[in-house]
Amino acid sequence: MNMSMKDWTISLLFTSVLTTIIANFFQNDISILESVPGVLILSSIAFIGIFIAKLVPLKIPAVVYVALTGLLLASPISPISDPIIYYTSLISFTAPITVVGTLAGIGLDFKAFMSQSWKMVIIAVFVFTGTFLLQAVFAQVFLTVTNAF
Amino acid sequence: MKKASQKTTILGHLKENYRLYAIAFGIVIIAELIGTIKFNIGSALIVLYPMLFAIIISIILGKDVLGFLKKKEAKKASSLVLVAISPFMAKIGVMAGSNLPELVNVGPALVFQEFGTIGTMLFALPIALLLGLKREAIGATSSTNRDKDYGLICSKYGANSPEARGSLSIYIIGFLIGTTYLGLLASIVASFDFFHPLALAMASGIGSGVMMAAASSTLATIYPAYADQIIMLAGMSDMLSAITGIYFTLFISLPLVNKVYAILEPRIGRRGKNKNVAPAKSAESRISQ
Repeated sequence: MNMSMKDWTISLLFTSVLTTIIANFFQNDISILESVPGVLILSSIAFIGIFIAKLVPLKIPAVVYVALTGLLLASPISPISDPIIYYTSLISFTAPITVVGTLAGIGLDFKAFMSQSWKMVIIAVFVFTGTFLLQAVFAQVFLTVTNAF
Repeated sequence: MKKASQKTTILGHLKENYRLYAIAFGIVIIAELIGTIKFNIGSALIVLYPMLFAIIISIILGKDVLGFLKKKEAKKASSLVLVAISPFMAKIGVMAGSNLPELVNVGPALVFQEFGTIGTMLFALPIALLLGLKREAIGATSSTNRDKDYGLICSKYGANSPEARGSLSIYIIGFLIGTTYLGLLASIVASFDFFHPLALAMASGIGSGVMMAAASSTLATIYPAYADQIIMLAGMSDMLSAITGIYFTLFISLPLVNKVYAILEPRIGRRGKNKNVAPAKSAESRISQ
């Protein structure tokens, strides 16, 4: 993340903040005004997390700090957990991701994709199937063993 | 601080990027107007989310197909993926914080399922060898090949090595396959009714936020009673993968994949023409996450 916090904030405003409010309206019929506090809270948590990531020299992806900041602020030890949980619950989790797909799609190197061999496409399918299936098997086994259902 | 002075005014920033923002905004509106489409194939409930439509529309409008966007904008868009996904990760954090006892309860399983990552190699390596790949197979099947894994393979074997070529191929193909196929795979596996919804949720975290979002939102629609827990656990699993993934690849997957390669290759690897597959164009796309 070599973007300045100011550039980061402007980018967030014109991508995620705007589109999440719109998407939340289309998907869940939640009015634009009702969505504003939740979106701003999530954006602020993201801002804090990214800022922490800039300060901490560990090589951990910045989104990890964002998730941990959210976890901490919404956990029972946080004095502001109630309003955070309430307002963000109005934002469905599928609302913020449409723009993520959009940007990833725009950035995709489709030419490079088309130039790949069909063999690699088959292998890619097996790579993802294998990872998903075996993680599911391991999760199922350990959930059963630890009686966590 | 002074260095970026021409960029620091809001107006300057907008002048540079307004086209990208406007087009992205338009694509989101179109994708949301299409909405969520659900249908059954056999006993599997297939769920198509606006995000999926957004990916397809933006690839079509993008620089390589219709060319509405320029190369520079495509590059900018890639760097904005990490910005735009952060509120979603914040949402997952909040969900985890408000369900902390639940998270602690499944914590051990959450950690151990990370070892399922060796499934990448178990399934894909024999196939790669049967298809006639040589050392490319090592890079291709040692992990799901997200940014950092590809970086690791490059630094270990060199960017021009066959291993790195294999890794790059899966990196490039993986984005499209991962986001479109993983949701489908989650639907199909869920229809077997064999795995607990929470186990499938954990399996969705494979170290890429976009892919995790695709798989877990599908699962949340299939199991509405578990929706919040599914998103929360998928997110936490993904976060764990993001932290541990590269070490896992380095210390467990790669040595293992090399061992299995040494055993299997003489047996099932195709002899003779050692023509390398995948010419591997230098990819500038830096997607994933």
